[in-house]
Amino acid sequence: MPAHHPGPELLFDYAAGSLREVQALLVASHLAYCADCRRQVAELEACGGVLLEEVAAEPVSDSLLDAVLATIANAPAAPPQPPPEPAKAPNGVLPGPLHRALGGSLDGVDWVRIVPGIHLSGWSLGVGTASACLLRMAAGASVPAHRHTDHEMLLVLTGAFSDEFGRYRVGDVASYDPETPHHAVADRDGECLCLLVQDNPLVFTGALGWLLNRGFRF
Amino acid sequence: MSLQADSNDPTVPSLEHLLLAVARGRDQQAFRALFQHFAPRVKGYARKLGADDGAAEELVQDVMLTVWQRADTYDPELASAATWIYTIARNRRIDRIRQERRPELHPDDPMLDGDGAPPPDHQVQAAQEASRLRAVIGDLPPEQAEVLRLAYYEDKVHSEISVEQGIPLGTVKTRLRLALVRLRRAFGEGA
Repeated sequence: MPAHHPGPELLFDYAAGSLREVQALLVASHLAYCADCRRQVAELEACGGVLLEEVAAEPVSDSLLDAVLATIANAPAAPPQPPPEPAKAPNGVLPGPLHRALGGSLDGVDWVRIVPGIHLSGWSLGVGTASACLLRMAAGASVPAHRHTDHEMLLVLTGAFSDEFGRYRVGDVASYDPETPHHAVADRDGECLCLLVQDNPLVFTGALGWLLNRGFRF
Repeated sequence: MSLQADSNDPTVPSLEHLLLAVARGRDQQAFRALFQHFAPRVKGYARKLGADDGAAEELVQDVMLTVWQRADTYDPELASAATWIYTIARNRRIDRIRQERRPELHPDDPMLDGDGAPPPDHQVQAAQEASRLRAVIGDLPPEQAEVLRLAYYEDKVHSEISVEQGIPLGTVKTRLRLALVRLRRAFGEGA
């Protein structure tokens, strides 16, 4: 069971449907590891069910039911099902929501080296100003110091890392408030792979940062 | 104010039974009854979230069609009929109207390792749970009920609620957390 969870507000926004796609991807992926957060989301969805019963009903057109019944009558006998997930873990280390967002396994992902030992995936998901990508830290490697003008989150997929706030293992979520400098260092005994979600692009700090922010790669 | 139709009359099938009749028997009469009950509510939900009349009716069609097609995945131990249909309406709205994908964890995700079911303490009759929850929501202090409704009905994440209502983010979070504590109590009572 993970020790670090998304904030209760994020679970709430996720269940209410107001959370945007990029952040929702991290929450949905965390749920694969965390029975407790799954239960909380189920409870908040029950709250949505109660609110649906309370909402001021709006009469629908008389023809709407007939239109739906006609579509049903014309549909093939067996309605199209979503493609079933193969029975044995085909996702490798990836939770289903992330596997679907990537459009396949990790094998197809290309990597961009930021500094020695630190790679970002060529794959990214951008919606509005928010973006998600994968972050790969070699054993013992540290992410260059950076600050950001908005919220940043990491979900650990393999391995573990530490920063000034704690240690994060598989399934854990690290959340950083805006303008919080932090220094993630991967455990020495193995690579650490994370889903990285940012509300706004990163700003690297320090001497290296000046170059990194200009797209310079080492 | 519309309460669940005839929930106290034992001769009228519950919404959950109607949904199971659609799942097991492809029962069109049951489906009509579900449509009469939920279509105006799903439309009201979509309208509250800013959809115009046409878009709201398209969403209703989409949701009710999904109800027919996916009824066999409904489990009354996990969710009331209203909760199940709420999640469909929420996801179809995100897809159609916001035009984003909805990342969802499927119950058969291989990573769940057969642990997809909620813990035993949640497997009480979901419909009974809903009536306790309804009472708790009705009793929430107005400022807590407000943050709840803004999130569900106005597509606002908690930080946007803070900006638009001119309430500090910390206050929004506090109200939300207080509301969540009360809501959780409604579930705790059933355990």
